[in-house]
Amino acid sequence: MIKFEKNNYIYKLYKWLPILALYISVLNEFDFNYLNIDYFSFNFPFILIFYFALKEYNKFDHLLVFLAGLINDTVVGLPLGISSFSYIVVCIFASYLRNITIRPHLIKDWFYFLFVISLINSINYSILFLFFSYDLDIMFYIINNLFTFLFYIPASFILNYYFRMIND
Amino acid sequence: MATSRDDFIIAIRSAFLKKTTKQKFSLLTLVFLSIFIIVLSSFNFKFINILRSFLNEGVYRASFIVSVPENFILNSYLSIIEYSSFYKKYKLDKEELENLRSENISNEIIISENKELKNLIEDYRFSTNKILAKVIVDHDSPFLKTIIINKGSFDNIKIGTNIYDKNYLIGRVIEVNYKSSRVLLLSDLNSSVPISITPGNIQAIIVGDGKNIGEIRYIKDNLIEDVKDQSIAYTSGTGSLFKSGIPVGKITNTSGKFYINFYSDFEQLKYVFAEIEQKYDRENASNFNENKELTEAAINNTEKIKLDLLSEELEILNQTNNKFLEENKTLKSQLNDFNSKILSLEKKIKSQKNLINQNQIDQKELEFLRLNLIYSSKCKKTAFGKGYKVGTEEYRNCILRKGKI
Repeated sequence: MIKFEKNNYIYKLYKWLPILALYISVLNEFDFNYLNIDYFSFNFPFILIFYFALKEYNKFDHLLVFLAGLINDTVVGLPLGISSFSYIVVCIFASYLRNITIRPHLIKDWFYFLFVISLINSINYSILFLFFSYDLDIMFYIINNLFTFLFYIPASFILNYYFRMIND
Repeated sequence: MATSRDDFIIAIRSAFLKKTTKQKFSLLTLVFLSIFIIVLSSFNFKFINILRSFLNEGVYRASFIVSVPENFILNSYLSIIEYSSFYKKYKLDKEELENLRSENISNEIIISENKELKNLIEDYRFSTNKILAKVIVDHDSPFLKTIIINKGSFDNIKIGTNIYDKNYLIGRVIEVNYKSSRVLLLSDLNSSVPISITPGNIQAIIVGDGKNIGEIRYIKDNLIEDVKDQSIAYTSGTGSLFKSGIPVGKITNTSGKFYINFYSDFEQLKYVFAEIEQKYDRENASNFNENKELTEAAINNTEKIKLDLLSEELEILNQTNNKFLEENKTLKSQLNDFNSKILSLEKKIKSQKNLINQNQIDQKELEFLRLNLIYSSKCKKTAFGKGYKVGTEEYRNCILRKGKI
């Protein structure tokens, strides 16, 4: 396994990697849309934010998450604040789950994550449709929700590996 | 029961309000802040718009830089595919080019006539100027079909500016910053374009399907039957959102529904054209002379184009005429030859006819002589018998009757 010297620059960069990944994913809209599979898309920032908020990772600043949301709105072209609101709500739910859980379990977290993203996507859809008169295909939201849910497990294995490396 | 409720409240309070040493804001503060921003952005305040414009400039540039590696991989993959089908495409293009060249002359005449007629019927004359813009952000989001271009208010781009890929319409500007703009593509669910369908000049509206095609909606029921497969759709100009006469795509009929395949591939956009319009009011007295000169210059220009095209056509006609004259000459000489041949053949036929007649006469004479040898004793006048004098017509008839007097 890779081990770092604690004062090493690479180690410092590595510690900031989750937030860096979050910013790259919102700037680049990292969701494999270019594969041109009908309706296929997933929300990588949701996975990252939920996972790191659940683990209470100290480099994952809420303000930075909030700003990432503003950037995502700018890149996608949504009204400002929508994604920030979604990301912060994910943080709140993750914090609540952390507070009420004594023995964490991946499958329980997984289904709780499904509930959270379904709720947030519903709120997003409703705000955009009712207050901003956007025409949106609900199918995109449902499939995005499903794939985000499915990718949580493989993503959490990779991120667990990252955590083990940081702690060692 | 009371304990579990307390636990719940403690967990909620902790989730909303607890700050670790590293966190500067509680989550509740950030929730209120985001709701505040959503409300502000819905009211369209000037200050917010300016702030947003600055944010957009920075974020678009950052997004462009961050997308470089992904775009590089994607473009390399597309280039490899393109090279593999290069020769086949070249052959098809060559055939198409030949067809298009033949149609080009008549099209140019029609275009210049069209321009002239538009000048006559419109109160305003637009001097259009297309500027090239680079697509800096195109993430092909499944939710909103938009692209970001590197031209903004500094380059006279305005909300509603039409955007083209070559000569085909691809969308319009919906958000303008100082040096960048957001373009809503025709394939977006929120995009509606009034079109005319030809043949038939049927008016309709196309709405994007959120993927890469458009659906035809709001067409009169009694006109649906007139729409044919592979009909051409171009902008009608209704509502003044888009200029009229811009090609958009071809109609396809799939199980009773009409869809439009856009001429342009929205996934392959790298450079686009933005049409900046400068409006001249003809009724405006102060600019009247200038406008008049400009109009005259434009008319002269179109007439010059027309004349050039007509002279080209005349040259082509002269060349074909000369060819016909040459052909005519050769045909005339051939005709003379044939006439002389006919005359000689007629003479030949006449001489042959004479020969045949002579032959027939000779055969009759031969027959008479043969019968004469046999029946001359019966027909010849003797001292004791009846008969005719040799050499007379009666004698001849008697011989031919085989001796019957």
